[in-house]
Amino acid sequence: MIKEQKPTVFVVDDDAAVRDSLRLLLKSVGLPVEVFESGQDFLDADRDDRPGCLVLDIRMPGMSGLELQVKLNERHSILPIIFITGHGDVPMAVEAMQAGAVDFIQKPFRDQDLLDRINQALDKDAGSRRMLAERNMIRKRLESLTPREREVLDLVVAGKANKVIAGDLNLSQRTVEIHRARVMEKMEAHSLAHLVRMVLEVERPEA
Amino acid sequence: MSSKHTQAVRGAAARRPRSQTGPEYRAILEAAVDAIIVVDHQGTIEDFSPRAQQLFGYTAEEVIGRNVSMLMPEPHQSAHDGYMRRYMETGEKRVIGKGREVWARRKDGSLFPCDLSIGEVSGAQPPRFVGFLHDITARKESEEQLRRSEAELRLAQELANLGNYVIHAERGEHDYYSPQLHRILGVDPGDPSIIREEYLERWVHATDRKRVAEAFVRMDSGKAPLDIEYQVVLRDGSVRHLHHLAQAVLDDDGGVVKYIGTIHDITDRRRAEDDARVLQERLTHFSRLSTMGEMAAGLAHEINQPLSAIATYARACQRLMVQPESDPGDVLAALEQINAQALRAGEVIRRLRNFVKNREVRREPVDCARLLEDLSTLAETDARLHNIRLRLDCEEPLPTVYADPIQLQQVVLNLVRNAIDAMSEAPEDRREVVLSTRMDADGEVEVTVADRGTGLAPEATDHLFNPFFTTKASGTGLGLAISRSIVRAHGGRLWHTPNDDCGVRFHFTLPVSPAVTTGE
Repeated sequence: MIKEQKPTVFVVDDDAAVRDSLRLLLKSVGLPVEVFESGQDFLDADRDDRPGCLVLDIRMPGMSGLELQVKLNERHSILPIIFITGHGDVPMAVEAMQAGAVDFIQKPFRDQDLLDRINQALDKDAGSRRMLAERNMIRKRLESLTPREREVLDLVVAGKANKVIAGDLNLSQRTVEIHRARVMEKMEAHSLAHLVRMVLEVERPEA
Repeated sequence: MSSKHTQAVRGAAARRPRSQTGPEYRAILEAAVDAIIVVDHQGTIEDFSPRAQQLFGYTAEEVIGRNVSMLMPEPHQSAHDGYMRRYMETGEKRVIGKGREVWARRKDGSLFPCDLSIGEVSGAQPPRFVGFLHDITARKESEEQLRRSEAELRLAQELANLGNYVIHAERGEHDYYSPQLHRILGVDPGDPSIIREEYLERWVHATDRKRVAEAFVRMDSGKAPLDIEYQVVLRDGSVRHLHHLAQAVLDDDGGVVKYIGTIHDITDRRRAEDDARVLQERLTHFSRLSTMGEMAAGLAHEINQPLSAIATYARACQRLMVQPESDPGDVLAALEQINAQALRAGEVIRRLRNFVKNREVRREPVDCARLLEDLSTLAETDARLHNIRLRLDCEEPLPTVYADPIQLQQVVLNLVRNAIDAMSEAPEDRREVVLSTRMDADGEVEVTVADRGTGLAPEATDHLFNPFFTTKASGTGLGLAISRSIVRAHGGRLWHTPNDDCGVRFHFTLPVSPAVTTGE
């Protein structure tokens, strides 16, 4: 169960002034913020599974922004990343986007542009986390099914009628109906369509 | 004298009138240092002194009774009878009673120069003549040698464009100016000597006048010779560079007797040096400009950093100020930072402008540690662009070096940028450039730029310092060549060694300032 936490904006920038000004800006709009001087500091702080988003300078001495992104991907972090880039960093920004960054913004930037991007990133993160939570919940419900119920579920999702399922599983039609009702109950499905959507949600390969 | 000679003279004497064979006459004839030849009115030799025999290589017997013209080279040999006839007829004396330099011919045909004087035997009828010959070969030779060495000196002075002089302190004595000196100073050989005040006033360039006058005064003390370069303006208005060396010769009381000196016209050399220097400086400047051009992206970033911070701080302040519950300390701190960041941006621009400014090369005592710190602002832009750390490791305190600070920064920046390029592909933990200074074993300041990059390809090391050699896609290939020439011009060395595990270290040394100051 994921503990409910307030989303935080994490800032990683080697430039003290840029870092501090971002901290103050985010504070001024009431967003919780944590700042880090380097990619390594951020990794060491283990914040990558927290809700929020990451504002990351693309160019830093030592571990670059792109390298931190690779490391976070390796840790299966879903934290959305907004890259701060300079002039002429378009090729790097493209690379960052291909590696899953949500956005990038060029320095110097209008504060509202950054805040908008941050809000979008936070929405995306919340959505992702909701979806993740839902999937976990569906998985848990699926795990609560007996092997027979699971067999019935798979055939229901495959679109087979109770009579066909009874034949396939060598059961009476009545028994199938009872299993099916139990499945609907355990899966907390409102309808057959709802049940099918939940199963497809967890069984399609992760994006 | 041998008896053979004596007999020969006696034999000849037998044919002479008695009055001229007296003992005095013989004594003169035999003892005279000059050769003596007596001839009759037709030029027939009557007497031939021992010295004459020695000089011409003839015995008396071989010449007595023969025409004296046998002792002369052409054209006189053929013309001599005519000379004598003319004298007999006209009495006009050409040689008689005067001296004359003539060529005489030995028995072996060789010629020698001699002074000839002829006297007529008074009262003799028919007339007879006595010739005295003095061999002047040695004198002629030394004259010729002198003439030749003078000509050679003159030619040498012309070639070197160097003149010499001897000027006496006492006016009126014989001052000497070599012809080339006349040419250098643009005066005529007939012009009077130039006195010092006049020289300073009318020749020496106004900007050098004080310095030259002081040097002259120092020379007068006799302690130090004059050795000075200065410019003169000639009468035609042209300006020449001279190197003047001179010494005062003093008497026992320390008074100046005379000045001996040389003046070397070094205008052409100086102009060539100036041209080379100007070219070198332009190239150096060009290289700085092109370095900055290559670094433009990094510099834009470096200026963008404070600008971003300022913009963000300002907006944060605006937001904080409309919130009644916000902390005024936050606003104050942000305003403080806005100021600091504006100055920071200005500082980057100032350093950049200093670096690219086309300026006079100016050497001054430079603290290398400070210089590296200053430079790191510019160098870090490039480092950051490549996600590379720049680390300073300065041994302190170090003596100052006497150098042009901008040119030194140029050298270090070149080396740092090369180091950065060498590490663009290196793994993260190796991406660090270390800049260090220390005092080496010879007491010189050594600056080292170490990278942990790919190292140098063996084929690259041979050409590393050649102009236009580059391994980069966009490089002028001038960086290292110019860096080395800058370091050399400062009296230092630039070289490289492999770094401990990987990469390269570039080192250069600089001699410390002549006057080491250890504090204010």
